[in-house]
Amino acid sequence: MRLRLLKRLDVPSRSDLLVFAGYCLAAAVYIAIGVAYNDFLLSVVVGMAYLVLAAWLVPAAVRRLRR
Amino acid sequence: MARSGGGQAAPSLSWAAHDLEPYAFQRHLKLKVAFVPLLIGSYAPDLATKWFVYGIHLGPWELKASNPAQFHRGWPGFGFTHSLIFGVVIGLLIWKVFDSKLWALSFMIGHAAHAITDTGDTVGTMLLFPWTFHFHLDAWAYAGQTGRFTDAAAYFSGLGGMWDLVWIVYGFFSWRVLTSVYFDNVIYRADAFWPWANRVFPRGALLALYRAAFFYGTSRWIAWTIWAHVIHHYPYDLSWGGPHWVPAAHP
Repeated sequence: MRLRLLKRLDVPSRSDLLVFAGYCLAAAVYIAIGVAYNDFLLSVVVGMAYLVLAAWLVPAAVRRLRR
Repeated sequence: MARSGGGQAAPSLSWAAHDLEPYAFQRHLKLKVAFVPLLIGSYAPDLATKWFVYGIHLGPWELKASNPAQFHRGWPGFGFTHSLIFGVVIGLLIWKVFDSKLWALSFMIGHAAHAITDTGDTVGTMLLFPWTFHFHLDAWAYAGQTGRFTDAAAYFSGLGGMWDLVWIVYGFFSWRVLTSVYFDNVIYRADAFWPWANRVFPRGALLALYRAAFFYGTSRWIAWTIWAHVIHHYPYDLSWGGPHWVPAAHP
């Protein structure tokens, strides 16, 4: 009965949670910079560029360096 | 209490609801929609106007609307950008120029969501322009005329900020639309933009770009809330039409 209930709940997988943790880390840095320097929060272009940098470019560069 | 606004900052967009609504629509619309024009539509009403509401400095000159609320939402002014007819006209132009009904429809949905959401404040929007009646629910104070910092403090102290929070919570509830599987199976396949962009950018970059507006809206909501209530101690006022410590504009 309980297992069935869990199945009905849409629970993220371990890999989903790992990705989420990475985004949370990127968000914490973005928020800290934004609180200190408000201008950082004002532009959607800056916000999107930051995320592409933090969530794709930096991890990709790290992966390449590890090889 | 309030910091003066109108500095030399970059032009700003509107608050987080306009970043977050497209993800919720993406989940629930039975229609096939394209995410990029949906998001552009959601930003469109403020794209060309918000910088002039707050004002910017260009060398010795300050460019700022003498009556920001009138300029932003009124007529005469650029209030027609928040009307349903504006979204339809731009949508038809997109259909004509890009020959894409999908992009046109997606833009119109995103644009309409913005125009309807902004009826929540005390100025409201001329939804049925050229009829210049302002539809306004008066749930939160419109304070654009006070400058970007006081406006931010007021917005994140009243029901406007809470409305954004609803979209954030709802976005997390709809977390599947943010997964890579959903991006590959739904978003990427629905719109030729993504395969086109994929010729230049790798999939990882496009996935980050797809998630960016949700990230931006949520992070900005948290950052402005910390700035307003932890750093500057602006008081919360969640009463209807609040916060009442800021002078609200009316149509």
